[in-house]
Amino acid sequence: MKEKLEKLLREGEAAIRSTKNETELQEVKGSILGKQGALTEFLKEIPKLAAELRPEMGRVVNEAKTKFNSMIEARREELKLKAAEVPADFDYTLPGIAPSMGGLHPITQMRYDLDDAFRSMGFEIYQEDDITSELYAFDKLNFPPNHPARESMDTYWLEGHDKGDAGDKLCLRPHLTGGSVRYLQTHKPPYRFVYPGRVYRNETTDARHERAFFQYEALIVDRDFTFTAGKVMIKSILSKVFGRDVPVRMRAGFFPFVEPGFEIDMGCLVCGGKGCSVCKHVGWIEIMPGGTPHPNVLRAAGLDPDEFTGFYVNIGLDRLVMMRYGVDDVRLFHSADLRFLQQFH
Amino acid sequence: MKVSLNWLKDYVKLPEDMDLKKLAFDLTMSTVEVENVTELARQFDGILVGELKEVQPHPNADRLRVCKVDIADGEIHDIVCGGSNLVPGMKVAVACPGSWVRWHGEGEPVEIKNTKLRGVASYGMICASVEVGLAELFPAEEETQILDLSDFDAPAGTPLSKALDLEDVILEIDNKSMTNRPDLWGHYGIAREISALYQLPLADWKPFAPGDVAEFPVVIQDPDRCPRYIGVKLEGIEVKPAPFYMRSRIWRVGMRPINALVDITNYVMLALGQPTHVFDSNQITDYICVRRAQEKEELLLLNDRTLALTKEDLVIADSEGAVALAGVMGGARDSVLPETTSVILEVANFEAAGVRSTALRFDNRTEASARYEKSVDPERCDPALSMAMSLFAEIYPSVKVTAFSDHYVKKLARKELDVELDWLNRRLGKRIPNQQIAAKLKLLGFDISFTSDVMHIVVPTWRSTGDVGIKADIMEEVARMYGYENFEPTTIVTSFEGAVNQLDMDLVRKIKEYLAFRCGLWEVFTYPWMEDETVNAVLQSTEGILKLSTPPAPNESYIRSSLLPNLCRAVAENERYFSEFSIFEEAQVFHDSDYQSPYDEREKLPSQRRNLAAAFAGSGEKVQELFRRAKGVVENMPRLTHMEAFSMRRVEKPVWADDTVWLNLYLGEQRVGNLALLSRKVSMAVGIKNLAAVFFELDLDALKPLRSRTNEFSHLAEYPMIDYDLSMLFDAQIKWENIEESALKRKNRESYLQKVAFVDEYKGAQIPAGKKSVTIRLTIGSEEKTLKSEEIEKCADSVIKQLEKDLKGELRR
Repeated sequence: MKEKLEKLLREGEAAIRSTKNETELQEVKGSILGKQGALTEFLKEIPKLAAELRPEMGRVVNEAKTKFNSMIEARREELKLKAAEVPADFDYTLPGIAPSMGGLHPITQMRYDLDDAFRSMGFEIYQEDDITSELYAFDKLNFPPNHPARESMDTYWLEGHDKGDAGDKLCLRPHLTGGSVRYLQTHKPPYRFVYPGRVYRNETTDARHERAFFQYEALIVDRDFTFTAGKVMIKSILSKVFGRDVPVRMRAGFFPFVEPGFEIDMGCLVCGGKGCSVCKHVGWIEIMPGGTPHPNVLRAAGLDPDEFTGFYVNIGLDRLVMMRYGVDDVRLFHSADLRFLQQFH
Repeated sequence: MKVSLNWLKDYVKLPEDMDLKKLAFDLTMSTVEVENVTELARQFDGILVGELKEVQPHPNADRLRVCKVDIADGEIHDIVCGGSNLVPGMKVAVACPGSWVRWHGEGEPVEIKNTKLRGVASYGMICASVEVGLAELFPAEEETQILDLSDFDAPAGTPLSKALDLEDVILEIDNKSMTNRPDLWGHYGIAREISALYQLPLADWKPFAPGDVAEFPVVIQDPDRCPRYIGVKLEGIEVKPAPFYMRSRIWRVGMRPINALVDITNYVMLALGQPTHVFDSNQITDYICVRRAQEKEELLLLNDRTLALTKEDLVIADSEGAVALAGVMGGARDSVLPETTSVILEVANFEAAGVRSTALRFDNRTEASARYEKSVDPERCDPALSMAMSLFAEIYPSVKVTAFSDHYVKKLARKELDVELDWLNRRLGKRIPNQQIAAKLKLLGFDISFTSDVMHIVVPTWRSTGDVGIKADIMEEVARMYGYENFEPTTIVTSFEGAVNQLDMDLVRKIKEYLAFRCGLWEVFTYPWMEDETVNAVLQSTEGILKLSTPPAPNESYIRSSLLPNLCRAVAENERYFSEFSIFEEAQVFHDSDYQSPYDEREKLPSQRRNLAAAFAGSGEKVQELFRRAKGVVENMPRLTHMEAFSMRRVEKPVWADDTVWLNLYLGEQRVGNLALLSRKVSMAVGIKNLAAVFFELDLDALKPLRSRTNEFSHLAEYPMIDYDLSMLFDAQIKWENIEESALKRKNRESYLQKVAFVDEYKGAQIPAGKKSVTIRLTIGSEEKTLKSEEIEKCADSVIKQLEKDLKGELRR
């Protein structure tokens, strides 16, 4: 009988191992441990045995029952794991599913990069209206009465508002600096702010010229401020935006609302200053005008130019973005063409 | 402006070993931007003077000649040439193999090679002036005329550039960088800057003394517009070419030599920046009068244009009428003719703005008007007169001055300024020794004297016409002459007065980043001007919309009162390439109303508000989904960007919206925007062919950022919350709003109902016509215990009953 039992154990184990799913496992379990099961049959045989053999046989059969139960449980776990297994032919080369895609305009991105850089130096961000008057576009900025920029060939005047006193003559702002005077008038010195915005010029467009483009003005007004500190400021900002050290130079330049005025150049990042087609072989790229606010501009804002001075720059955002990405046509910025915009994440 | 280095050397002695790169750099850093430095002789490399020893007919071609040419290299070369003026003994320009010429003056330069022409070997080429870029200096009378160098004292073999004295360097200066410097518009002015930069002496000039001659009759009627007028009558002249050196200089800085009389005026202008003019004196009757033109007075200009003048224009006239447009251009009547023997030389000063507006009014800008409009000082008439007179004497040894007058009616005062040295040092960030400042500024023409702490400056006349007038200008002069590169960087010192906190700025950025990065919209920019057709289609009225007086295009004069018209166009444009996309724009909109200004009482600005608009474009079959997506973006914006929430109502349908699919957005009782499907009619009118588009537009200025985040923490549920979905049939016109409201009634009485949410809506097969099936998710649970299934069922049943009662809903089993 013992041999028979051992045989049952061997065959039962093999049967359990060969099951492929829960149903088969249940069937095998029934065939061994069920009412008519093979092991149950052994139990039924025990009373028929000699009394002294019964305890030993009972123990052995019960042991076998325990063994079968644990083998079945183990097999059940195995089968469960197997069922959850990913098929080996899973294709991990299929493309990923993109998250919801959208993006800011590349000029907005550059603007926010500059905002972050200037804010880290304690600058406020200022915004003003697009329509301004001749008073703020020109008069308060020291533009002489017959300055060419005032003419309709350069400025977009509004119909029905293109005659009369300077405060009544309205135009789309040709630059941001008039708005800066508004800031100076309504805040207390010392000032430290940036002013991003779109400006408008009535001119013929081509790959390098636009009628609507973006400027980014930064202005410090304080009791003592030397233009050499302005150079430090520009250098830190450009280095932060471009992520590396950017050489900066200031040279003579003229703009009505600054005195002295500068043209500010940055070292060409394409050739590292050696000279290439991007920088017209001079190693430098003209990036912004700047200078010390003209005393008349400070006066227009109600400040005493003997007490206050400062530093001003006006960064051409379009130009900077064109350089960052190698964009060769400024008109793409206002095209609203998604084939262009979707390149800038 | 082009500047010749040799010409500069007339006025300032540059060292022989002058580093041109450094000169260009120093000028760029301190004065004007030098854009280009060109060695003029380079374009004549390999072109030599050759002497024709023999000129033979070509054996195979009637029009060609075979020349034996000596270029002093020990051989006599055969060169085949088609020139019509070839004679033995003539000196010509020979382009040797390896040099570059332009065939017939056209196209790109080509390299000369040894070649055979009709079977005869030819060494290089005998050139016409046009082929070596000298057509303007040596105009050819016919195409086959060869450049004849016989008059030049240069033996065969001399490089052409040397023979013609073209070994010069041309500096090209960016005109934009000197618009404020009228004194720099001639060689003498640039020479003065160089003299100060390198501490070199500047050449002086002798004033002209007319001697005892008759008074030339001049009347100046408008002294404001003509502060000075010098008239000189010269006799004993003739029209002939100017000396070669003058023609050459005029040509190399970009003008065309004409004849000695015209060339004298151009030469003086290029040298000194002072325009001058010559009239044929036989054509001037009685006197010269500088006056305003009469309205509609006609004047025929030198360039054959007839102008109808205005009272704003200044003319030079005689007793018979206008003869020239002052400061702009001479007239045809008085122009110099081949038979001219006596002339009137005009050296005058005209006021800048007047010249500029006249030149612009007639779109007739000239070299002269370009200089006058920068504001030339009247004192410059003196060196100009002096130079012109010595040129006349040089070219016409027998010339006689028969009448002269100098009407200097409005003297220019030299500006005087006091600059405190302490102020100067503080602004410069360093102290520059007085004598160093004085040395540089004196060479620029400033007179300087020092007291203990003040520098007294007298500005030269040529810088007193608006350029230098305040002490900041002096600071600039000092700094640029010292060299901006020589100032050490300094640190920025300032006080800290608290962190920058700008909630309104942050809000706009948060909204844009929310739309781009969370909602998958792309930001676009469009112009502020709109096409008439689009405005009419979308806004359906132009009332209250502002216009440009000189628009970029005739049909683009309206500037936006809403972002929608241009956004519609952007959808139409992108529809060609994309079938599903969403875009947004943030910009200002303008209205012809609410004129005011908080900054200056004289100013009246119209209503300007910052708007945000977005478009969701997709298939017309999925309008519901498209609309829900747009609505979801709007609904969740306040919470995710931290601002006060807005509500959606139906008060007034936007004109551009579909009849059914629209909502108004409200912040409290203020209407702040709209959300709607663009009507099919408008879509077609703006060129959106296939896609459906849902738009929203919001007034950003009306939105109110929260000072800080406001949602409060709520404890996590301790007992299970069960989601219980039910699908019910309703009449198709029943809105979710009604269903939610009805179901939530049970939230008050039955505390186990926590939440009611929409799952989906279904119409179609299995659903009776006029009905829809709505799946509703109830969240049922208790904060005190785990609910038994009977309690959950009971709660759900109560909701079902409520919906049956209120809305005749039927549960789908």
